[in-house]
Amino acid sequence: MDQLFDVSLFASALRMLTPILLAALGGAICARVGLFNVGLEGLMLIGAFSAIVGNYLTGSIALSLLFAIGCTLAFSLLFAFMSIQLQANVIVVGIALNFLALGLTTFSLRAIFDVKGAYYDKNMVGLPKLNIPVIEDIPWLGGVLSGHSVLVYASILIVAALHYYLFRTVSGFRLLAAGENPTAARSLGIKVTRIQYGAVLLCGVLCGLAGAQLSLGNVTMFTEGMTAGRGFIALVATMLGQSNPLGVAGASLLFGFMESLSIRLQGFAMPTHFTLMVPYVVTILAMLFFKDKGYMQEARKSSGSSR
Amino acid sequence: MDKLGNWIKPLLQPLLALAAGLAVGAVAILIVGGSVTETYAEMWKGAFGNFYFITNTLARATPIILIGLGVALAFRAGFFNMGSEGQMVLGALSAAITAIHLPGPGWLKLIGAIVAGMLAGGIWSAFAGWLDAKYRMNLLITTLLLNYIATYFAGYIVTYPLKDTTGSAAMAQTVMLDKSAWLPKLFQGYSLHAGFLLAMLGTILLYLFMKHTVKGYEIRMLGGNPLFASYGGVQRGKLMFLSMFVSGGLAGLAGSVEVLGTQYRYLDGALTSPGYAWSGIMATLLAGSNPIGTAVAAILIAALQTGGMGMERNTDVPLEVSSIIQSVLILFVSAKLTYSFIKRKKAGAKNGPAV
Amino acid sequence: MLLQMEGITKSYGNVTANRNVSFNLRKGEIHALVGENGAGKTTLMRILYGMESQTSGEIKLGGKPVSFGSPTDAIRHGIGMVHQHFMLFPSFTVAENIVIGREPSRAIGFDRKAAAEETTRLAKRFGMPVDPWKRVGECSLGVQQRVEILKVLYQGAEIIILDEPTGVLTPIEVKELLAAIKELARQGKSFILISHKLGEIMEVADRITVLRDGEVTGTVNASDTGEEQLSRMMVGRELVQLGRSAAALGEKVLEAKGLTVRGSKTKPLLDGVSLNVKAGEIVGIAGISGNGQSELLQVLAGLLQPDEGTVELSGQDVTGASVQRIRGAGLAHIPEDRYLWGVSKEADVTENGIMGHTGRLSKNGILRRGKARSMVAEWVERFGVKTGSLDTKAQHLSGGNLQKLIVARELAQQSPFLIAAEPTRGVDVGAMEIIHAELLSKRDRQGAILLVSSELTEVLKLSDRILVMFEGRIAGELTAEEATEEKISLLMAGGKAVG
Repeated sequence: MDQLFDVSLFASALRMLTPILLAALGGAICARVGLFNVGLEGLMLIGAFSAIVGNYLTGSIALSLLFAIGCTLAFSLLFAFMSIQLQANVIVVGIALNFLALGLTTFSLRAIFDVKGAYYDKNMVGLPKLNIPVIEDIPWLGGVLSGHSVLVYASILIVAALHYYLFRTVSGFRLLAAGENPTAARSLGIKVTRIQYGAVLLCGVLCGLAGAQLSLGNVTMFTEGMTAGRGFIALVATMLGQSNPLGVAGASLLFGFMESLSIRLQGFAMPTHFTLMVPYVVTILAMLFFKDKGYMQEARKSSGSSR
Repeated sequence: MDKLGNWIKPLLQPLLALAAGLAVGAVAILIVGGSVTETYAEMWKGAFGNFYFITNTLARATPIILIGLGVALAFRAGFFNMGSEGQMVLGALSAAITAIHLPGPGWLKLIGAIVAGMLAGGIWSAFAGWLDAKYRMNLLITTLLLNYIATYFAGYIVTYPLKDTTGSAAMAQTVMLDKSAWLPKLFQGYSLHAGFLLAMLGTILLYLFMKHTVKGYEIRMLGGNPLFASYGGVQRGKLMFLSMFVSGGLAGLAGSVEVLGTQYRYLDGALTSPGYAWSGIMATLLAGSNPIGTAVAAILIAALQTGGMGMERNTDVPLEVSSIIQSVLILFVSAKLTYSFIKRKKAGAKNGPAV
Repeated sequence: MLLQMEGITKSYGNVTANRNVSFNLRKGEIHALVGENGAGKTTLMRILYGMESQTSGEIKLGGKPVSFGSPTDAIRHGIGMVHQHFMLFPSFTVAENIVIGREPSRAIGFDRKAAAEETTRLAKRFGMPVDPWKRVGECSLGVQQRVEILKVLYQGAEIIILDEPTGVLTPIEVKELLAAIKELARQGKSFILISHKLGEIMEVADRITVLRDGEVTGTVNASDTGEEQLSRMMVGRELVQLGRSAAALGEKVLEAKGLTVRGSKTKPLLDGVSLNVKAGEIVGIAGISGNGQSELLQVLAGLLQPDEGTVELSGQDVTGASVQRIRGAGLAHIPEDRYLWGVSKEADVTENGIMGHTGRLSKNGILRRGKARSMVAEWVERFGVKTGSLDTKAQHLSGGNLQKLIVARELAQQSPFLIAAEPTRGVDVGAMEIIHAELLSKRDRQGAILLVSSELTEVLKLSDRILVMFEGRIAGELTAEEATEEKISLLMAGGKAVG
């Protein structure tokens, strides 16, 4: 067992946690304004791919991050337009965007790199790793906490910032109001539509970063559909964390740990099929503890009288 | 005029979407430096160019239709069943195992395999329904996650316990089925098999079921407003179980006919990599869950895919243009709700103040 | 003159909601705006509050013409509105609800302490005590109403529009509210009070403007008029008295004993309710909404499981049975909220019409569509449901027409027992008369009817026996002869039980 739960397992949990956490925070902010964003998976995939493209085109990490954010922003704008402006069914739009993301990345992989399946170039630079002074010298803890990509640390800061924003600022308060009772918020002159757009775009930025961590942080390559359901796991993390940044972080931590455990177990003479299943099984088990709103409430919301 | 309008209106949106999809596809073709007309001509030829290509397209459409029908049924009842892939895979695996191990004459193996496939898919799907009814787990998410579990499980089965060790190739697959248990081909030498007839039959049956039976009516009402349905005496739990079971059963059937009519064995990845399940869901979305529309949309999507392969053989444009066209199609169709929403808004304003 | 609205006309297509309406308000005045449902009161106020713009006409504030593009504009000009359905955020605190939109802040931070202090100060100044840190969702409706008024005062409103402010309040809360309004008017605030409760209006209003069919039928001083004159101005004719024969009572059709629903709150939602309905009588349930009526109906209709108690219908024990079984035993049900329970908006008129009738309209599970259509077509004809065709989607029908369809559907069950919850909510006078006549005729044919209505007049008009609910219990029972509005009101407020 000692070999199983060693330093590198926890260190890798932190790496695995980051993409899920970032996307889940994006999902949380969307949920807070009343939009259930099923498109996290697609947004993340776009982020992962465009980060690689940015890297290939510019060779600069900063620029490739910016490029990834730009692409996911454009994509989330599409989501916002369809679901807020055109009032299309959010879930259908989310599913459609996932399809589009998969189609676009596969096509572009072919069109830009002329490869199928995966793109890898040993000249590509991954996200820089940060060694934190003092902490890196602490035994065990240093190994776990130090030496990760910037985005790992950034994601922790983002959790705190988002928590502060939502529960301590005027603007965050209004965002919560817009989600809780849009009609009332609108009657008070709160620009609900603008807030919803803002939330979806912020979600885009976060998913862009999540994707970048996936393709430039954890590895330095892109494979077709490399998000592998992480967007949906992030959605569950959003739900489990009740769209509260700290709660979402907790839920993501669980899923990140399970993912790194699943990778680790492969070294233990277990069929990979079962180890690969672990994150999904755990996610489903975790859902046991989260009661969905239930169809009654859902129906009340959508069929409620206009009186 | 009104009658005519009623016929055209549901078609208008998909046609517009198709036009938009082709337009975006044209842009993609131009980006990679192809000729739009030439590429689309090759695509058409690849999909419907001659009898061989037509049957090929229909063969590809077969599982897509069946899955689409299942998803349509679930959507109509108000359940976002996204688990077709897992349901199909488990159906295919069960069909293969049954056909291999069931003793008796070929026809018995065949029927047994189909029944087993449908049961496996149905149970896997109903399991998600049960999780929703019992533990209020979000069905959309559980069905998605169950896909991964099902495919890994099936992969394990054919990699270890039931791996074909007779051949020289180290592929993760079962042994070949006995020839007597194969679904017959419809035309000698062409890939189209009897599964296509099952898909057509399923389309008509589902259409009649939804439109003319009490259960179909109840399912539609449940999807429209579950509170209204329960108020009227419709039992949500039972109906959910039924619709999820049939929905998954159809996905299982899709997997079974692929195994029995095309692959003749369960080969890991042979059903997942062509994305049959996702194409089926797309077809349903495209057709707004109308059974006949779903079948038509499924053939269209299959044509885009086979056409894309033809295009790739004869031009420099990559196959993936097809997937772009497909996704744009869906995106535009999801705006359909929009169209009716705008109309409703106008009508609402005309009727005077609501408050 | 503080506010003048002159010659206001508002049309939607060829429907005119307001025709050449003039209305004015003095400083420190309470000016009531009365009229039947659909008379155009709410439209006029939505125009004043910037939620709609008039087709023609002019609004002057302090003599200067103004036009408001949005509620924010109106708020900026000192006009506040308290909506009929509160515009509150249940999970936020009282203080948060009051300051929202103009939050006290330090840099980008929301200063919640300052908000609470401001709330306390405001509450003291206007004599409306509230706890600033309490969540609004946990406050009583009376306190929520107070929060709404404090909110508009915080926003600096000089003119306050109150839209049906007393509909959901207990009589004690109503008294407190009316007193608070008078006090605020004394301090110089001006009120526009929309209501159809003439008693309350006579109590507080200085002047009264009556609207009928979108037009002003007159503005009078409260001291110069009485309730009778006002009703005539509202309705335009004497009200028809429905002829009712004495009830010919039969067997008990429904018998409920000790029904209890605990819910998640500390107090049970339904607390040991027993009642029976006999063939040939209408039993009316009166009460301020939210006192357990909804839960009672849902239990009787099989939509909610009671924690305790039994229900017997036509001699069968149907406690906790499925809706299907209860309907089989003889239930028809006009639901309380038609959009929530009564229809599927996406489905067409026929499909909405055959719910609950499928057993009769099918053979071996196959729906006989022709038969279904002719059945629904007959109802549409008889009840005058205005619809494009039988294939029109329910969402395109007006609320009143949908209600007629639902009533027709449920009456056609010809069941021994009928629950009629808010059977005429939001329907026009003509439809109301049809529905009332149909309910009475069902009773005369030995039907047992349980009527629940928040309109006291409707309960009084139709019922043979009246039960009053308060806080989940039956607070009292009155016969049609002994029931008066006063007695019922007292019971509704939790006063001493009579029966």
